[in-house]
Amino acid sequence: MGAFVIRRLVWLPVLLFFISVITFALGLYGPGDPVQVLLGVHANPETVERLRREYGFDQPFYVQYLNYVANALQGNFGYSLVKYRDQPVGKLIADALPVTIQLNLVAIFLGLGIGVPLGLLAGLQRDTWIDLLVRGLVVAGISLPIIFLNPVLTFLFSRRHDFVLAAAQMKFSVGPFLPMVAGHWDGLFSAKIILPAFIESLGIIALMTRQMRAGMIEVLSEDYIRTARAKGLRERVVVVRHAMRNALIPIATILGLMLGGLVAGSFLVENWFGVPGVGALAYDALFSRDYYITMALVLLIAIAYVLSNLLVDLTYGLLDPRIRKA
Amino acid sequence: MSNSESTNGNRWLIGIIVILLVALCGAVCVGGGVLYVLMQPGANPFAQGATPVAPGKQPVPTTRPPATGGKAILRLPGTSDPRTLDPAQVNDTNAGQFVAEIFSGLVTLDQNIKVVPDIAEKWDVSDDRKTYTFYLRKEVKFHDGRPVTAQDFKYSIERVANPATLSPTAENYLGDIVGIKDKLNRRAAEVSGVQVIDDYTLKITIDAPKSYFLAKLTFPTAYVVDKNNVERDGRNWTDKPNGTGPFKLQEYVRSQRMILAKNENYYGDVKPKLDQVQFIFAGGSFMTMYENGDLESVYVTIVDIDRASDPNSPLNKELFLGPSLATGFIVFNTLKPPFDDPKVRLAFAYAMDRQKVIDVVYHKMPMLANTILPPGMPGYVEPANPLAYDPAKAKQLLAESKYAGKLPDITWTTIGAGGSAAQDVQVLVGMLQSNLGARVSIQQTDDASFFNTIDDPTRNPYQMFDVGWSADYVDPQNFLDILFRTGSTQNWANYSNPQMDKLVDQAAVEKDTATRFKLYQQAEQMILADVPVIPLTHSREYWLTKPYVQGMVYPPMIIPRLKYVSIER
Repeated sequence: MGAFVIRRLVWLPVLLFFISVITFALGLYGPGDPVQVLLGVHANPETVERLRREYGFDQPFYVQYLNYVANALQGNFGYSLVKYRDQPVGKLIADALPVTIQLNLVAIFLGLGIGVPLGLLAGLQRDTWIDLLVRGLVVAGISLPIIFLNPVLTFLFSRRHDFVLAAAQMKFSVGPFLPMVAGHWDGLFSAKIILPAFIESLGIIALMTRQMRAGMIEVLSEDYIRTARAKGLRERVVVVRHAMRNALIPIATILGLMLGGLVAGSFLVENWFGVPGVGALAYDALFSRDYYITMALVLLIAIAYVLSNLLVDLTYGLLDPRIRKA
Repeated sequence: MSNSESTNGNRWLIGIIVILLVALCGAVCVGGGVLYVLMQPGANPFAQGATPVAPGKQPVPTTRPPATGGKAILRLPGTSDPRTLDPAQVNDTNAGQFVAEIFSGLVTLDQNIKVVPDIAEKWDVSDDRKTYTFYLRKEVKFHDGRPVTAQDFKYSIERVANPATLSPTAENYLGDIVGIKDKLNRRAAEVSGVQVIDDYTLKITIDAPKSYFLAKLTFPTAYVVDKNNVERDGRNWTDKPNGTGPFKLQEYVRSQRMILAKNENYYGDVKPKLDQVQFIFAGGSFMTMYENGDLESVYVTIVDIDRASDPNSPLNKELFLGPSLATGFIVFNTLKPPFDDPKVRLAFAYAMDRQKVIDVVYHKMPMLANTILPPGMPGYVEPANPLAYDPAKAKQLLAESKYAGKLPDITWTTIGAGGSAAQDVQVLVGMLQSNLGARVSIQQTDDASFFNTIDDPTRNPYQMFDVGWSADYVDPQNFLDILFRTGSTQNWANYSNPQMDKLVDQAAVEKDTATRFKLYQQAEQMILADVPVIPLTHSREYWLTKPYVQGMVYPPMIIPRLKYVSIER
């Protein structure tokens, strides 16, 4: 077990080396550079030349790369070149990271809380109308694109909608729910988290439901379930203790992998709703060729995925004793 | 195992799951309802017998200022976070609008974008027009109370010229000062052209007589900064900027809000009247916030422009127009066939119904441009006979050109991404196809690659493209010289006309303003006749401002504007 963990961790720097070289090269050899983006159409050729020289962009690739690594190893991940001029990259990420983690956590909780019961329901009621309905919802959840949901939900919540019930002589209005669409980002408990978290949770709900449903169906046809039923256990015990527990194992895998994704924000959702998270930062960095931000984010996300994979492998052992022994 | 037991057990489980789901939905609904009631004080959403609101009617705009506890507070939308609050680093209007309130310099622009004294109360210009002697006001203090002297200006300019400052604007705005470039390129330790005569007298020498030099000094690059502030706080010094402007930075939370507070000791003749200005950065619909009374002023986007300009809309009374000193161009690369033939360029100009594009695609937001200089720029004159849409003339000109009957395929490059290119370009290309039979395809690129390519005009492979230019400083030289003089970096069309070059060179050193503008007008006529570019738009900004806000200005340049604003109850 210990050897396994150590082996995994030894590979981490090797992986990071390859990822960093590739990312750095893409930035350097890709079209456009941060100086150009910074100066735009008003660029003065003398300014361009001076800034490139001062930043060291005229140096050979390996010199720039080694300089970057030397600084990074001392904890200096550079400064933003364009969008947040002169802000340390470490600080920018430290500001954005908690925002994205909070948003993703809420999305995952929503996904689990809705997806697992739905999948369980569909799995138990296989091929009934309930199952069909749930499967329909899953397809919708997966296929509705974010670029569609963003404007539609924003529209729904940012306007006042008037309803008139002529028969009951009643009039009522809904919205606008401004804090949800136009308010400040104020952390976990701001109204603003609701829409982005909901949109991000749709995919997770669908994934969880599908996985849970398939797991239940598979497990329910296993021999040990028949044995359990045969020895006269009550159905509740069979389902909860024997079937559900085993069907949850793949869910744990997905969840573990999602932990890695916790630090990666969604470009589309964060930018649309003005959530100041990692996705919005990465978007800015990529389009303004802010090399150092991109580098740090790519490395951070790589590390998170490696560690969460490791965690998944370790939890497997807890859930399934056979893997622990092997 | 009995069937009945299995069904019973399942039912039990299903029951729990259903209850859980219902509870969740219920919680969401109740939460939403509570939120709704909390958000609409005074409005009972379930009131009976109320008259239904007529469809299409907008909520009545709020006309009274919100209660702010006796404080005059102005709330404005922040389009995006400023890149920087360091005057030496500012090179865009977004960051400039904040920096111009917090800092100030020797000279500034007034509401009519005329150069006026600021910290310098007056100045002398030497006979050879290369030496400027500035006399500083004596009562000017930084926000922390320290008096501003000529040494502070010397320090600030030296700082911009320090290569380690990495200023993106040093050459553009201060490059005329003798010795700046030597220091920027590490050939000198000091800027020889800036001399402190005494505490309140500063002498600046430039390399050649340049009528637009003072206009350049109004840009933030030339603002004064506090040495103690900069050196004490290192790279983070702008977290607590110690400026001289009419407002102080009170709070800035990135992507959320910036709060500026009145500088009680401001030296200027126009004192700030607002206690506080709040810029809201959080995303979402600023227009909705404005209509709900959460903002005092908002810019109008193309989505809302028809609604706001409708004379029957209550919003229309709150609509203001801000000019921009900017022109959007369609550029022909005159080194690339077929645009090496002026007749082809002129044919293209006649074949495009630009007015239609302005009306339909842009909803008349910008003005149709028929000149290179935008209206509002000194030296601008209305064109006598602007280029009109004339497809027949276009065909005739193309037939007379050397590419008659053998017009090569053309690519129009434009900034953009996604499935369909900008609508304006698509429509214009459609006109070229139907009126001239030209085969024009659109190529989209991201702005980093685009700038990278067009900033090297002689090696630029693009045949034609569209690009906008906004004034760096208020002088025709900034358009006619920078964009069209032979060899200039921004001469995207690779236009070369020795006569025109001579005119702009003459104008640059001409002392008499009227003569100077006449020279620029001649140059402009020359350029327009040769059609290296087709002017397309002069942009305009549209703002809605609540009636209780007085003195709001919508300047086309970076100027300290908030000191003019007050809230009248």
